[in-house]
Amino acid sequence: MRITRRAVLKAGGLAMVSLGLDPLFLARAVFAHEKHGRARAGRVFVCLFQRGAVDGLSMIVPHADPIYYRERPTIAIPAASVVDLDGTFGLHPALAPLKPLWDAGALAPIHAIGSPDSTRSHFDAQDYMESGTPGVKATPDGWLNRYCRHRREHQATPFRAVSFGPELPRILSGPAPSLAIGDLRAFGLRPPAGPAHDKITRAFEDLYRVAPTKLLASSAAEGFEAARTLERIDPARYQPANGAVYPDGRLGQSLLQIAQLIKAGVGLEIAFADVGGWDTHVNQGSAQGQLAARLGEFARALAAFAQDLGDRMSDVVLVTCSEFGRTISENGSAGTDHGHATAMMVLGGPVNGGRVLGRWPGLDPAARFEGRDVAVTTDFRDLFAEVLARHLGATALDAVFPGYAPAPQRFVGAIRT
Amino acid sequence: MRCPPIAGAAATLLVALALAPDARASHQPGSLSARDSAFHMLQRFAYGPLPGQVEAVARQGTLAWFEAQLALGPFADSGLAAREARYQALTLGQEGWARRFVAMQQANRARQLAANVAAPAMAPGAAPAMTPGAAPAPDSMAGRGPAASPVLATGRGAQPPPPAEELEIRRLLDQVRGLTTMRAVTADDQVHEVMADFWFNHFNVFLDKGADRILLPTYVEEVIRPRALGRFEDLLVATARSPAMLFYLDNVESVAPPEGAAPPSGAANPRRRGINENYARELLELHTLGVDGGYTQRDVIEVARILTGWGMMPPEQGGGFVFRPRLHDSGEKTVLGVHFPAGHGEDEGVRLLEMLARHPATVRHVCTQLCARFVRDDPPAGCVDAAIAAWQRSDGDLREVLRAIVRSPEFWAARGVKFKTPLEFVVSAARAVRADPDTTPGLANAVARLGQPLYRQPSPAGYPERQEEWVNSGALLDRMNFAVALAAGRQPGALVDLDAVVPLSADRKTLVHEVDERVLSGAMSANTRRVILREIGDLPDPARARTLAVGLALGGPEFQKQ
Repeated sequence: MRITRRAVLKAGGLAMVSLGLDPLFLARAVFAHEKHGRARAGRVFVCLFQRGAVDGLSMIVPHADPIYYRERPTIAIPAASVVDLDGTFGLHPALAPLKPLWDAGALAPIHAIGSPDSTRSHFDAQDYMESGTPGVKATPDGWLNRYCRHRREHQATPFRAVSFGPELPRILSGPAPSLAIGDLRAFGLRPPAGPAHDKITRAFEDLYRVAPTKLLASSAAEGFEAARTLERIDPARYQPANGAVYPDGRLGQSLLQIAQLIKAGVGLEIAFADVGGWDTHVNQGSAQGQLAARLGEFARALAAFAQDLGDRMSDVVLVTCSEFGRTISENGSAGTDHGHATAMMVLGGPVNGGRVLGRWPGLDPAARFEGRDVAVTTDFRDLFAEVLARHLGATALDAVFPGYAPAPQRFVGAIRT
Repeated sequence: MRCPPIAGAAATLLVALALAPDARASHQPGSLSARDSAFHMLQRFAYGPLPGQVEAVARQGTLAWFEAQLALGPFADSGLAAREARYQALTLGQEGWARRFVAMQQANRARQLAANVAAPAMAPGAAPAMTPGAAPAPDSMAGRGPAASPVLATGRGAQPPPPAEELEIRRLLDQVRGLTTMRAVTADDQVHEVMADFWFNHFNVFLDKGADRILLPTYVEEVIRPRALGRFEDLLVATARSPAMLFYLDNVESVAPPEGAAPPSGAANPRRRGINENYARELLELHTLGVDGGYTQRDVIEVARILTGWGMMPPEQGGGFVFRPRLHDSGEKTVLGVHFPAGHGEDEGVRLLEMLARHPATVRHVCTQLCARFVRDDPPAGCVDAAIAAWQRSDGDLREVLRAIVRSPEFWAARGVKFKTPLEFVVSAARAVRADPDTTPGLANAVARLGQPLYRQPSPAGYPERQEEWVNSGALLDRMNFAVALAAGRQPGALVDLDAVVPLSADRKTLVHEVDERVLSGAMSANTRRVILREIGDLPDPARARTLAVGLALGGPEFQKQ
């Protein structure tokens, strides 16, 4: 776990050099003193990235469309096993654990969503989805970091923006502080318990008070602060509520830890996790098989998260995303190749759920992108912008998505207003 | 033009600089002591000094040490060779790796088949069985996330252990990772080690993409390491002909489109899909010209066409490089305005790579990256220009380029301004206490925990060099943890004997002075000295005091810089 920041060396921060702190950290620290004690459990946005380009047509199955079955003779999900949603679309059977959320109006799939950029490179497409600037590689920071930077009024906490995994992802990179957490239980200094623990902690805090750069000093200071908070929470003793059982594996553990931080009231606003294994070029499977196993773990993790949080889901919106979708036709290896639009899901209390959102372009060859892929009818930035605006109350959307200017008339209506 | 090697212990830095053919060397501040220059050199062109090495290099002459390093051949380090003999992974060769890979695939397939037969048909709506082996192997570049990080190898819960063939490959790959940190810690030819790391990162390959698991070790040993101080063009051509790179960046998928019209959507034979631009794009963007190198999308496509047919034999047949004329696009091409006549097969690619290697944009791009690594994150123009000039007059001789960087005033003005990467931090700490690495991946795992898992950077851009990418609180705290554990002898992967580094002393001030001299090479700040003295003041046992002092010194802020 770590807090990352990019130096704001060029942004007028030089006046703070003598203090060894950068201005961003300082502003937040001052704010903390003013607000301390009345920080309420705020709204939370969880972004879950399915790395590898998930097959949207297998997640949200267009089971009424004969083209779908014609194009995928061996890997289509048989209509009889699809969990029907609205007569047109249905869930992959492995996603059945999410059906109760749909029934409760807390789940909305969005179909035919993606990036306007036509790249079929995982690298580029993930990069664009995280920088929030499709087609522009030079963007230095991620859009979730830009959101944090432009909304300073959030309560001061090292846990405002947290990524679950050992490395900070592109989407959270940038000058605003954010944490990358591999495991909450392993965070912080780990010297032997007892007097040595206090001695070593005190020593390192004093060593880094006079660090050679403000970047080192402020990063260390935030690390010590986060470690103190976590000692109070005692993550090792966490028990999920309401009988929720998270699946084994990194995704389940990530969502468990997100739920834990939400409940601990440490000021978590932005959480990010990712899960790989969606690049199903070969032997993708149908109702069962490789992809079904991944989707099963995925659905059980999401369902456990919602169950664990219970009423707290009224403050939480979780969005699943993936860099692009996959070809409409199956390939020669009973798999699918890199395509264009995919499906994403929004779930949580504030979600306008129980409906499949977005404009469905259909699978007709004439409606396809480059003659082979599901066309993009919703720009991913419009979905994320809607969540930022309507769930978190963000206003400076053009600063978060530069060069795009997200507009409410393009929102798909994922969040209740 | 070649500079005469600087000989003799009396060659001071200033004398050496005066011998340099570069007139700008006269701008060099004359106040740098022999010790300071030796320290700076070892911080950048070595993985930090060993105890006492600063004094030794200062006596030898800093530039004399550097020249001696450049004069070593790639396999000149006999001490290292003796250690390498303990690594089975080094004895396999490409054939041995490929044979094990095929065996592993067969074992995994057999297991998956057995599991599928055993699994009952699933009722509609029921949760699917998690069949063992059904979880996709981390074989795609899809997982840019750290899915394969050893930190995460927990929580696979109920699944049975993988087959023995899989475990065998994992064991050998652990050796490969451990070998890398062992060499960095112990090798005498440090410049070679540092440059091998630089070039691997420049021509990055991702270990966890399918066959790259067994292609990467040979790539490191036979493509990168022997050429780390050679000519750039040789490196470029060797990487382009390496199955590891061709597989990693999908050139093995890139084939000439079928004769006649463009393939109809979907229905085309998936084996004859046409070109794949992945390698072509990264070749121009990352390996040679740079993102602003003046190429177009059209150039990317033409490069991909030239490289169609560059592929690899199946692992069953050894997994070596092969050029397949039938998959090669035999039409004429134009790249960056240069015409490539039709029908020259594999030679077109060689000609293309030679052209790219000499292109001014490539020279500038690579020299800028070298200076970012060895001088500053934002390299000053002076050293970049000096490196470019040396490249051009030596036809890309990397030794000449490094000489030019070392002779530039900008290099000497950049002391202590860079932040160590996790690899540099872990290795330099191990060197600072003369740790003795074993053949386990203990130190490599520490590097991974700090955020830089070796050979597991999925992006072809490699790991970043800028400090903003590495300075963050969680990793900083983990650096402190590593330092404390290493000093206490509790870090897996290396034996530490502090008796051989810092003599025990009942006098606390003497002890801290020795830690400063031996472990920090005299770089300890007044604040660090004060804090360490305070914290060891109430420890009656001098050995415990020494352990704490060394741990705090290695985990403190000075040691994060280079």
